[in-house]
Amino acid sequence: MAMFGGAYNTIAFDAAKCDGCGDCMTACATAKTGTVDQSRSRIQIVGSEHDGFELALCRQCGDPKCVTVCPAAALTKNGDSGVIEWNASKCVDCLLCTVGCAYAGIALDAGSGHVAKCDTCDGAPACVPACPHQALTYITTSRIYNEVGDWEDLFAPGLAGCQGCNTELLMRHTLRRVGPETVLATPPGCVPGMGSVGFNGTTGTKVPVFHPLLTNTAAMLAGIKRQYRRVGREVNALAIAGDGGASDVGFQSLSGAAERNEQILFMVVDNEGYMNTGMQRSSCTPYGAWTSTTPIGKGSGGMPSQGKTQDAKNLPLIMVNHRCEYVATASTAYMQDLYDKLDKAIQASKRGFAYLHVYSPCTTGWRFPTDQNMEVARKAVETNFVMLWEYNPKDGLEFTRPVDDPLPVTEYLKAMGRFRHLSPDQISHIQGKVVENLAFVKQMAHRQSA
Amino acid sequence: MEHTKYLVVGSSHAALEAVTAIRMHDAKGSLTLLTRDPHLPYSPTVLPYVVSGRSSPDGIFLRDEKFFADNRVQLKRGTALKALHVERNAAELADGSEIAYEKILLATGASPAIPPIPGIDTVSYHVLRTLDDATKLNAAIKQSKQAVVLGAGLVGMHAAENLVKVGAGVTVVEMAKQLTDGYFDATAAALIEKAFTDNGATILTGSRVVKLAPSSKGVTLTLENGTTLEADLLLVATGVRPNMAYLNGSGQLVLHDKGILVSDSMQTSVANVWAAGDCAQAKGFFTDSKVMNAILPDATEQGRIAGMAMAGDPGLKTYPGGVPLNTYHFFGRHAISVGSSKVPEGAEVVTRFDEASGRYLKAIFKDGCLLGIYGVNEFFDAGVMCQLILRRIDLSAVKQRFLAEPMKVGREIMSKTWR
Amino acid sequence: MTTAILETPSQTQPAKQKVMLCEGNEAAALGVALARPDMVAVYPITPQSSLVEHVAKLIADGRMDADIVDAEGEHSVLSVLQGGALAGARTYTATCGPGLAFMFEPYFRTSGMRLPIVMSIVTRDGITPQSVWGGHQDAMTVREVGWVQVYCETVQEVLDTTIMAFKIAEHHDVMLPVNVCLDGNYLSYGTSRVELPDQAEVDAFMGVKDVNWHVALDPLRPMAVDPLTGGSGGKGPSTFVRYRKGQCRGMQNSLRVIEEVHEEWAQRFGRRFAPLVEEYRLDGADYAIMTLGSMTGAAKDAIDEARDAGKKVGLIKIKTFSPFPVEALLKSLNKVQALGVVDRSVGFRWNCGPMYQETMGVLYRLGRHVPSMSFIGGLAGADITVGHFHRVIEATEKLLSSPAPIEPVWLNEKD
Repeated sequence: MAMFGGAYNTIAFDAAKCDGCGDCMTACATAKTGTVDQSRSRIQIVGSEHDGFELALCRQCGDPKCVTVCPAAALTKNGDSGVIEWNASKCVDCLLCTVGCAYAGIALDAGSGHVAKCDTCDGAPACVPACPHQALTYITTSRIYNEVGDWEDLFAPGLAGCQGCNTELLMRHTLRRVGPETVLATPPGCVPGMGSVGFNGTTGTKVPVFHPLLTNTAAMLAGIKRQYRRVGREVNALAIAGDGGASDVGFQSLSGAAERNEQILFMVVDNEGYMNTGMQRSSCTPYGAWTSTTPIGKGSGGMPSQGKTQDAKNLPLIMVNHRCEYVATASTAYMQDLYDKLDKAIQASKRGFAYLHVYSPCTTGWRFPTDQNMEVARKAVETNFVMLWEYNPKDGLEFTRPVDDPLPVTEYLKAMGRFRHLSPDQISHIQGKVVENLAFVKQMAHRQSA
Repeated sequence: MEHTKYLVVGSSHAALEAVTAIRMHDAKGSLTLLTRDPHLPYSPTVLPYVVSGRSSPDGIFLRDEKFFADNRVQLKRGTALKALHVERNAAELADGSEIAYEKILLATGASPAIPPIPGIDTVSYHVLRTLDDATKLNAAIKQSKQAVVLGAGLVGMHAAENLVKVGAGVTVVEMAKQLTDGYFDATAAALIEKAFTDNGATILTGSRVVKLAPSSKGVTLTLENGTTLEADLLLVATGVRPNMAYLNGSGQLVLHDKGILVSDSMQTSVANVWAAGDCAQAKGFFTDSKVMNAILPDATEQGRIAGMAMAGDPGLKTYPGGVPLNTYHFFGRHAISVGSSKVPEGAEVVTRFDEASGRYLKAIFKDGCLLGIYGVNEFFDAGVMCQLILRRIDLSAVKQRFLAEPMKVGREIMSKTWR
Repeated sequence: MTTAILETPSQTQPAKQKVMLCEGNEAAALGVALARPDMVAVYPITPQSSLVEHVAKLIADGRMDADIVDAEGEHSVLSVLQGGALAGARTYTATCGPGLAFMFEPYFRTSGMRLPIVMSIVTRDGITPQSVWGGHQDAMTVREVGWVQVYCETVQEVLDTTIMAFKIAEHHDVMLPVNVCLDGNYLSYGTSRVELPDQAEVDAFMGVKDVNWHVALDPLRPMAVDPLTGGSGGKGPSTFVRYRKGQCRGMQNSLRVIEEVHEEWAQRFGRRFAPLVEEYRLDGADYAIMTLGSMTGAAKDAIDEARDAGKKVGLIKIKTFSPFPVEALLKSLNKVQALGVVDRSVGFRWNCGPMYQETMGVLYRLGRHVPSMSFIGGLAGADITVGHFHRVIEATEKLLSSPAPIEPVWLNEKD
């Protein structure tokens, strides 16, 4: 038994696309039992038109309970494929595995009298192509782990981020991906606040790292990159900057470097404000949001103070208008998407300016429980409050995770304290802006669906 | 004296899970696994299938040597724990040596409880707890024409079925009014009994053996009502009792009742000493008092918790309390029980029985929540049902559908609740 | 603006040198080219613009092999160079006036990071009042920021000093950025005969480039550049103090290095410039006037005329203004009984010229009273003529017998 496996291919299910037709079950039953008896399928679609459809299917758990409770060593996790394999010759039909599994992933097949479970058809699951709606996909959800799990983490252990902050995750993954031949710029903000540049002579990274000014990150990196190019050395110039420095006071140098097409990978960690200095408003702060400089109060002259009164500046779209080699938005809730974009951005930064705008919710400044960061980030995307797309001059702009059936924006807003005070008018303003922004980006998009 | 950071005593499910949990959090700390059994780890639960010949004795091992080497676990087989010296954190072994530990897990399991029947020490009989017991019994049943099984628990019933299948005449003697008492209710037990009698076995419930004596064939059993039975093979399967004889001397400081008393993180009354599995007596899910819940799934759960606690894993979630869980496969049919068999005040019991198909379902609800569910020939996902119970999910709105199709409705709730 | 080669250098010159006619901005650009920087960053501003145009043309013509960054503003200009220097580049730029003001944030930081960047300040008066003309107000305003600042008197000195500046900046005992200040209008556009040093000789003079041995952003030797320091615990205060003291030590070391480099220059190229303080006809003088930059030419003419008229007056010229050459100045001041200091900028706090203000501190250290006064002239491109200097000489002479005025004399007040 592999105690610590890698990440593997799995059959993913998109409930929103499932209409309960059952074709997947027929395909499975056919492949596995030679019958069309859907009750014998190892993938089971449950639910109804009314409540929506869901899935009962072996998750090929990393820490499988079915294996631990099997007294006969008949179930094993295959360390290469990740599939939990059932050995018919060892199984004693005791059904204890069905006690261990909380997901109905292994169950009695009445037709054979034995338990049966999904084995992913040796990597070509019959159910997936059978789905007429692409509700089933066979994907590696955590390819990242397999690929970079053994790569060196180039940040020091124990960065001093707030509890539940995704930015550390982002920093570690990004630098791990970009690699040691990198000069890293972390302008004032949360990233050096966590200790990336260290304190009093220590360092937080294993690559050369520096504090630029809040204002000159892109310019300093340009100088570094140019000199290495001049002497024929391949060195990545990477910025991990905050939204405030990038969209406000640092915008000039950012825009200048983008216009000159400097060979830089510029990542903005957008937590929608100056969070490190105490959660003040930036031009990326969204309309209505509480910050420490857009506080809530009764105001004067009958005009209550209700958070920020302007909409956020759309910095990534502005960067598109620099015709950079690559521009993309990403979210910490969609690491695979982020990784794909990071790969493209790294390549693009060898040719010119690459810009990655990553939305990273701030537990402290946005006021939500520390265990909710991924959920908040996900809701931002699911409501289209944040759109995930990428741009390059050749292919134009394309959505990478189009959300065709977005949740109402209130699903996002209600997850955070910073929007708690919103009036119905403010909420409808925000919803209106989501629609407007979507329409705007769609107009620019090569592919219109989203 | 040998020194180890973690000493795990026992080699079955609880011990193995503890090893995994320790290594998840502490990849380096020295770890020793001590077992009295000479074999690689195996599950007592698989032994009836070794008896029947279905499982090959060399194909049942849950881990191989490589696992222990890969995980830097020192495996000491064939040496029992003789005494625990808690005052100096040392384990005295049967061979007289000692191992100093920083933390010890007692996952020593249980042994057959031998009833004090007059004459029992004058006859030869089988028990079934170890692999060696199983291989002996496997050889014996092939010769048997007339076997008697004492005890109609799952071990006894499995053996009885095996004996029936090899053509022996089998009589099961059980003190309780029904067989599989404590696992299944009377209706289910009757279905099980019928399956046995249909296949030629004799079931004597409510019967007590009062005397055992050697005979030319093997053993003569005298029952309470005066009848006698002849047996060429006697299997004593009247239950088990925890192995904790090593709690002598200062080990007695480890408080124990029926088993070793443990907290919700499997810690005993003595620092640095944990216990899990069949030898442990932990909180029940349905009761605040500490109970014996000597079942395999609970052993893995307890072993996992103990290992995490010993290694200081901050991800530890405390033990929710033991939920009885059993599955039983007999003559091609199956019985599943999940949860409480007791019906508390104010609870509602719903049963459904289809005599033609032999499908039987019983569910106990209280305040809309499931307390227990039992089925014969009615398959449902026991793991899903257990979650419904542990999570105390209110099923009021779907109760009728649930009773009609427990598997389907259980899966629906699962997919929407803890997916 | 074409360059004309007037004649071949005379045999008396120690090295092969071309002689040509050019303006100060072009002389600076030629000096930069001879120093072979890896990277220049440019942004135009009057009266610096023709300097960066010359640099761009030299690069475009293949006469200079440097990466040129047309940055979007002076802030980025200096920031790009900081990055370049941290990656090992010899770097150069030029600016003035509002550009220098805009650059201030990275400007302050350059000396703290000990980056040997050379930057010409084609000096310009401060706005507002709006003005695009010369004056020392820009450079004077940033005199307390840890850059070495030297002021040139002639176009030739601009060319030669620009080359020397790299060597001074990169000296291991210095490792500080250097401003070569040349007066806007008067030197930037003033056309003059210059001797152009031979490239090979300059290469030999410059030696091996080694700009980031002490601080680098290089994956081959990773380090955190400029981690947070200071605060009130955990070696924070001592860390900060160690850095600051190092800067001050570098500044003081530069006084010696500037002298050494000027001496070596004189040996190699036959042109000797006073490195810190120049004395002109000071021996036997009862009193002196003090100047800075291009005004000195007219001042020297006035001194000659005054001496001819029997006045016992001499001249002290400051070349190295930052660090202020206290010891060298003390030696010169020891020779005189009264002093008049002419500034081309204003010190608002003391109501006098900034150089006068600095000099008062040195006068205090003389240990005897030397009456002195401040003259402010040449603001916003105004000329300080020989006539103006005669007024300065007369007023200074009166200090020998009359009390010194508190108010400064504004030379161009009636022009």
